[in-house]
Formats: sequence, C-alpha cells, structure tokens
Amino acid sequence: MEPGGSSGVGSGNSGTYTPEIAESLRFEEEIQSLIHQSFDGSSAAGGSFTALLGLPANQAVELLHHPGPGEPPASAASSSPTAGDLWRLRLGEHHAATDALRLPFGGSSTFVERAARFSVFATDDSPASSSGGGLSPGLKAEPPDSDSPPTLPAPAGRPRRPSKRKECEKSKAKAVAKKSKSAEENTSAAKPAAEENTSGDKLPYVHVRARRGQATDSHSLAERARREKINARMKLLQDLVPGCSKITGTALVLDEIINHVQSLQRQVEFLSMKLAAVNPRIDFSGLDHILSAECGPLAVGSGCGGGASGTAMWASDTAASTGGIRRMPPPQQIWHLDLVHPQQSSTVWENNGAAHPHFLLSPAISLVGYDPAGSVPLNSNQLKMEL
Amino acid sequence: MQVTRAFKQAFLERMLLGFRATDVSSKSMSFQEKKSFIKLSADVAIAVARGSRKWTRGLIASVSKEQQKRLLPRVIPRKQYERLMKPCSSNSWKIPRSKKILRKSLRVSSTRRKKKLCAVEKRTRVLRRLVPGGESLSGFSLLDETLDYVLSLRAQVGLMQSLLMTCEASKRRAHELKCTSPETKASTVGNRGRCGMRTVVVKAEKQFSLLKKEF
Repeated sequence: MEPGGSSGVGSGNSGTYTPEIAESLRFEEEIQSLIHQSFDGSSAAGGSFTALLGLPANQAVELLHHPGPGEPPASAASSSPTAGDLWRLRLGEHHAATDALRLPFGGSSTFVERAARFSVFATDDSPASSSGGGLSPGLKAEPPDSDSPPTLPAPAGRPRRPSKRKECEKSKAKAVAKKSKSAEENTSAAKPAAEENTSGDKLPYVHVRARRGQATDSHSLAERARREKINARMKLLQDLVPGCSKITGTALVLDEIINHVQSLQRQVEFLSMKLAAVNPRIDFSGLDHILSAECGPLAVGSGCGGGASGTAMWASDTAASTGGIRRMPPPQQIWHLDLVHPQQSSTVWENNGAAHPHFLLSPAISLVGYDPAGSVPLNSNQLKMEL
Repeated sequence: MQVTRAFKQAFLERMLLGFRATDVSSKSMSFQEKKSFIKLSADVAIAVARGSRKWTRGLIASVSKEQQKRLLPRVIPRKQYERLMKPCSSNSWKIPRSKKILRKSLRVSSTRRKKKLCAVEKRTRVLRRLVPGGESLSGFSLLDETLDYVLSLRAQVGLMQSLLMTCEASKRRAHELKCTSPETKASTVGNRGRCGMRTVVVKAEKQFSLLKKEF
C-alpha cells in the first residue's frame, strides 16, 4: 500500500506513513462511529417523539384521536379522492354501528381542526356548509341517534367538538368527525401515515363546523379555531418536555416548558465552559476536515511527527478542567452512558492528540495540506484487520 | 424530521469551523473569553444548521448585534448569512391583526378572563424572552418556535457532550502514554522527521493494545 498522495506530508518518507495513515484513518472512522453513535444516543432521548415529530401534525392528529375518534367526512364526494374513497368505504361499514370512523388525516394541522370531533347536525348544515360538501342523507340519518349517546360521555381530555365550517381553498378532504365510543387508535394511526402529508404547518383556511348552541359569528369561530391551533401545539410541547404529560392546565405546562428551556440553555453554557477548559490540548482545526470528509479522510496526525513534545502541555490543562467541575449531576449521568464509545475513538485520537500540540507550537502549519487521501483508505483496511 | 444525521453533522462542522475562526485553541485568551467564543460558535452552528426559522434569525441577529460584526463574518460565510437573514425583513414586525377583532378580544378578555390572562400571559412573556427572536411572535408561532428550539437545543447539548467526552478520554489516554513512555519524549521534541512519526506510531500501538485489554 503505497501512500501515493502523500506529497503534502512534509517528510518524504512513504514507508513509515503506512501504519500512521492507517491509524489516523481508523481514528476518523471511530470518530465517525462516535458521532453516529452519539447521534443515535442523542436522538434516543427524544427519539420516540422526534420520530413522531417527523409529521408533527400527524402527531397532533394522533393525539386528537386518542381520547376520541373522528367522524367520517360527510363531504367525501367533495375533494380529496383517496380520503373520500376511504371515507365512503367506512361510511358503508359503519352504517350500522355508531363507532367512530377515524379520519385518515393527511397530518396537517388543517386536518387537526377538521378532525376535531364534531357532531353532524342537520340544523347547522345549511348556513355554514358553504364548502359544497353536502352531507349524504345516509349519514344525516345516522348522526342524530349516534350523536346523542356519545355526546354525553365526552371523552376525557377531548372537550373539542366539531367547530365551524369555512371556505377551504385548497380543497383538501373535509373531515366530518363523528363521536364514537370505541377508540380506533390503531386504524387512525395507520391512516395518517398512509395519507399524504399536507401543508404541515400552515393553516390557511379551516373547515370547521359550529357546535350546537355555540355562537356562529365569525369572530368567535375564528377565536375557537385559533384556540384549537394553540392547544394542538401545546400538546406537542407537552410530549416533548419530559414529565409534562400528566400536567393539566396551560400555565403549568408553560412553566415546565420554560424550566426545560432554561435548563437546556444552562447546560449549553456549562458544556462550553468545560470545552474551554479542555480545549487547548486539541487543535480543532483538524477535526472539521475529518467530519466533512466522508470518503477521503484526512490523515491529520500522520503528517507531523514528534507528538511527544506536546505532552508537557497537557499536564497544565488538567488543573483547569478539574476546577470547572461543579455542576449538576444530570450532565454527568448522561456522559457516563456514552463513555464506552469515546474510548474506542480516543485511541486514534491519541494519534492526533499527540500530533496536535506540535501544531500549537507551530500554528503556521496548515492542516489542510496534510492529505494523503489516496493512501489512507487502503491503510485503514489494513488496520482494521489488525484490530 | 428535525434531528437528522445531516443536521448533526452540519452542526459539528460549523462548530469546529467556528472554533477555528475564533481561534479558541490559542493560548492568548482568557478562560472567560474562550468560553464565550465556544458558546458563540455552538449557537451560531446550531442556527445555521437548522436553516431559516424565526428563532434562528433572531439568534443570529442578536449575536451579530453583540459582536458588532467583529467576528461574525468569519464564523458564518457571507453567502449563508444573506440567505438566512433575507426572508426576515425586520424582527420586530408585529403580525397584522384586524383591529375589530383585536378590540373585541381585548374587551372580552378584560372583563371575563382576567385570571387566566395573568397566569398564561406572564409565562408567555417569560418564554418570549427565552426563545431568541420571540418578541415578535404571536401565541401560536411562539409555541411552534419553542418546539423547534427545544429540539435543536437538545441536539446541541448532546453533541457538545459527546465532543467533550471524546476530548477528555483522549486526554486521559495522553496522560497514560506520557507516563508509560517518558523516554521517547527526548528523542521527539521538535522532531518532525521519521523518528517522530515512528514514535507516534509506537505510542498509538501501545494504546491499541491497552484498549484491547480493556475490552
């Protein structure tokens, strides 16, 4: 394995480069693995949520669906064909039962609004339904008897009832949420995933239906829509912040959120302080190349020899780092979990660490030049077999 | 999906770039200065990696105001800065609301929902101060930006922790090496030639053997 491209390395000795380049390549791979491991690890904290958060509106929809079901859209004929078909099917299925027909929401917040269970009332149909989706007569017959029983046991935490209906420009499938007794979370969970993800964040116009006995003037309707938007977001935040799901009430939840944000900001400050303490030993200029280069890793340390000269410097840094330790246990605990991995990478770091202080002595040396990229991959394989 | 691998890699790259630009490895800085620069790099990195959101723009704006264009041109490439800050004309732009609705809601809230207003409004005010760029956000977008911001902060903390741990672990190893092989120091001080590299190789191999024993 000839280090073919080792021109930039400074000492023209190709023979000795081989193991070093291999080691440095190994180092880069370990760093990569560390990063990837930490990626998995750090994402695991919010993993369950972030996975869900891929479609936040989906999540919201799911949350909405949890306590209660949604109704099939009466206006299945109106716009979205796929959703409409599904709904028509479900209409057929559930004609006898009063079970909720979960809405296959596209996962946008628009659906959140629409999907709010609302009872279909013949009285409220005519004035509000300007959207053009008329209720099918079969469905109309259904709601009156199905609605009354479910109305009474309003599912806990889901006081939301159907709201009003407005103009929908985007002609998304309109959801006619129906109250139901049984929960069909699984089907509803499957549906949002299957449905196409609509806008996601924006709420241009919302088709909602006015609840019985509620004011139908535009202002209160608008307010209600706005409130429901905010409540949906609050639910998401509740899931995100640990220990917030049990808390009821906006103020307390906001309290928790504020505490969480403050603690995260404090953690960032603390970590930056620790990094400042440990920093002088590592020359970070080399690392970004390592991180950016996927296939052609840099042999940062291999270029310069004489790493031992820097060891004297390291002793001085321990004092600084130990002085800074004073903080909360949580960061420490988390660190211990990841401790296994840095050990693997640290050995190769050592190679770089040994070389770095040398760079500190001669900052003029540009690390960019040290790049026997061609030879490195071959040597890495060699090294892998060694280990 | 917010916390993707690309996002994390972008964040790490930017942070290290920032470290280099602000030259935190040099000996000439005080500890406080170093710490502030590291924090600056980390914050800018998280904002640039995230892209164009209201809180990112607020963050970059506040940083540039603080730094007075001293270091920022180095930490953030000019083009990206333009790209990020362009969509936001002014950070203190209030969301236009119909006056009639505002008046009505004000009337309603003042008469009926006073208590709720106090409790929630206080906290909303605090949250506005915490989230960068939150002053000009409405209730809904404030929550939205908070969500985003919390996720990004989490990623930032996790990555900084792993970086720190790697540094400390390698530092520990360096100390071990130093203890075990003092004799090689003399030969390699200032020597960038063949011998130096060989010594480094030797040290690295010792480390690998140590590691193997450990596991």
